[in-house]
Amino acid sequence: MSLAAEAFVSQIAAAEPWPENAALFQPLKDDQVLLSDCASSLAVQAYLRMCNLPVQVCCRANAEHMSPSGKVPFIHVGNQVVSELGPIVQFTKAKVVGCVSGQGLSNGPLSCKRHLQHCAEGSAVFLQGHSLSDGLDDVQRAEMKAYMELVNNMLLTAELYIQWCDEATAAQITRPRYSSPYPWPLNHILAYQKQWEVRRKMSAIGWAGKSLEQVYEDVSQCCQALSQRLGTQQYFFNKQPTELDALVFGHLFTILTTQLTSDELSDKIKSYSNLLSFCRRIEHNYFQEHERPGLDPLSIRPSLM
Amino acid sequence: MDTKTLDPLPMHGPDLGLHPDDAELVEAEPETKQEVLENKDVIVQRVHIDGLGRTKEDLLGYEIADVFMAKNLIDVMKKSHEAREKLLRLGIFRKVEVVIDTAEGEDALPNGLDVTFEVTELRRLTGSYNTMVGNNEGSMVLGVKLPNIFGRAEKLTFQFSYGTKETSYGLSFFKPQLGHFDRNICVNLYKVTGQFPWSSLRETDRGIATEFNFPIWKTNHTLKWEGVWRELGCLARTASFAVREESGHSLKSSLSHAMVIDTRNSAILPRRGALFRINQELAGYTGGDASFLKEDFEIQLNRRLFWDSVLSASLWGGMILPVGDKPASIADRFYLGGPTSIRGFSMYSIGPQSEGDYLGGEAYWAGGLHLYTPLPFRPGRGGFGDLFRTHFFLNAGNLCNLNYGEGPRAHLQKLAEYIRWSYGAGIVLRLGNIARLELNYCIPMGVQIGDRICDGVQFGAGIRFL
Repeated sequence: MSLAAEAFVSQIAAAEPWPENAALFQPLKDDQVLLSDCASSLAVQAYLRMCNLPVQVCCRANAEHMSPSGKVPFIHVGNQVVSELGPIVQFTKAKVVGCVSGQGLSNGPLSCKRHLQHCAEGSAVFLQGHSLSDGLDDVQRAEMKAYMELVNNMLLTAELYIQWCDEATAAQITRPRYSSPYPWPLNHILAYQKQWEVRRKMSAIGWAGKSLEQVYEDVSQCCQALSQRLGTQQYFFNKQPTELDALVFGHLFTILTTQLTSDELSDKIKSYSNLLSFCRRIEHNYFQEHERPGLDPLSIRPSLM
Repeated sequence: MDTKTLDPLPMHGPDLGLHPDDAELVEAEPETKQEVLENKDVIVQRVHIDGLGRTKEDLLGYEIADVFMAKNLIDVMKKSHEAREKLLRLGIFRKVEVVIDTAEGEDALPNGLDVTFEVTELRRLTGSYNTMVGNNEGSMVLGVKLPNIFGRAEKLTFQFSYGTKETSYGLSFFKPQLGHFDRNICVNLYKVTGQFPWSSLRETDRGIATEFNFPIWKTNHTLKWEGVWRELGCLARTASFAVREESGHSLKSSLSHAMVIDTRNSAILPRRGALFRINQELAGYTGGDASFLKEDFEIQLNRRLFWDSVLSASLWGGMILPVGDKPASIADRFYLGGPTSIRGFSMYSIGPQSEGDYLGGEAYWAGGLHLYTPLPFRPGRGGFGDLFRTHFFLNAGNLCNLNYGEGPRAHLQKLAEYIRWSYGAGIVLRLGNIARLELNYCIPMGVQIGDRICDGVQFGAGIRFL
């Protein structure tokens, strides 16, 4: 399909309401998921909870290969499959979740702006712009994008580096976890193949020459920038969370709650108290607010080795 | 999906144009002494083989042993011919010529004969370029062959195949048992890539297969162990979610056994004889994560009728039983439909499907009844026209998933409901001894929701047809 046709089709699909059985796919929670994948998955889960879009988390051993872009997590909504936070944010920007046709209002999130439109039948359709960043002006939106890029280029890359390029972590934690669903000898083949691929990517972006200390230093600087931007505010922009908050929460929370070969990484974050309280706040507001049976707050934590 | 054998040439030695139907006797050299008469008893005193290079002699002893048993000249000629065929079958000689002469030398008997086989060995390294026709696809095959590398008819082959749907390469080592060419071992290493647009699936297999072939009485058996690393992926972004869920890597380690009884006179357009082939495969007990028991069989009966026409009936069937909780993978299930099975339907487009992608089924059966006749008015008779046949066919079959909790009666019932069938007529062209092309006019019937049909004219090319 040409790009224009694809955009048209996704627009049409986006005009459907958010279904009940929307699902988010990630690798197996207990044995397989790695730090970087867990962080990305948690970021998307946080974002969807902030938008009040219910999604069921499904764990599959082959989630990475099911994803259209090769990266986890991805969501399966209706018959659309969208992966990674950026495209998911775009996808949820125009979703119809409520319709008034005389029977009354069906529920929808209260935290989002609403645009009223009249459709052909004459009943009113609430077009929910699930853009959490609607309240931002252009300067702020650009700033938000810049910080998101910072997190992706620094934090995510550092996570990948520590997982795959640091031999101790790779041998003790990453390779065994990544290859756990597969039988011998496929497990070794796939783990080494993935490691080779990530290391190649690291050389391409110039991180191959960095030492572990330099990477920790980079993480520290990134946290410092985030901490300064956050200051004493509740969220990064205004009093409403945006996708930047979801992304930062995903990464920081995962680093804090995952046990690696050394605690240096989580110590770097713990030294910034406003980031810690930011994580606790989001966890409290969005991951514990509904007392649903079986929803164990610990279930969002990646299992420790 | 099945892996095909990588050998482009059938294992019967180079085809010198001699067919069982038109065998001719080898001519003996004119006798210089003019004494040996046809019905006189003779003794074969010596059998020489000239022209050996790297071939070890103990290999050939078995093939030529029978010549010593001959009692009269006609017998000698016949047995020499048979020995020549056996030597050619080894696949290590380019040419074999037989010379029968009276015995010379001190211990020569008055009725003694010397038989000499003059052979030319194949070169150590040969390259080949073939085009291959598989089931509705074509490919270009480049091969490098090292025949007879250690002197006892071992063969090492490397093949690279680039086709319309598949790209693959493979390394194959073949070793027959001394004296029993039909008992042999074959080890293959391969990488095969396939694209299956009917399921929106892409599959890459990397594997090792070891097989051991041996005949028992009239049947041919094959025992095989195969280890395959399978990688499945979606062919397009619009693949259905059911196919997307099957993406990823898996390892299949399976043992299989196949038995074949083939009394047909030819594999393509046989005139008489029958074929019975049964194959079972057990995966999961020697490692890997695919775990199932798979059975399939093929029966074909041919009979000549009046006026040079042939009636042919065939039946295929198969079943896969997953062992454990995981359902059978899409790469192991059966597919049905297309110009090589139930004509009138699109390729593998029968049975369970999801959003237009065919997922295959766990059990199937398919039957065909064909009447082959020569072309009307027999144009080109005795030459090119003999390669063509008209054929009238009736095909039927079904493909479905079984609920293994129920009994066999429920299974039979499920296979018997929603039968798809078709009938029609067309022309068949025979390509050598390997493949055939068909052009048919088909009328599909019993079409269910979800099946894709190809009614009207349908073209098919392949090796194995229902």
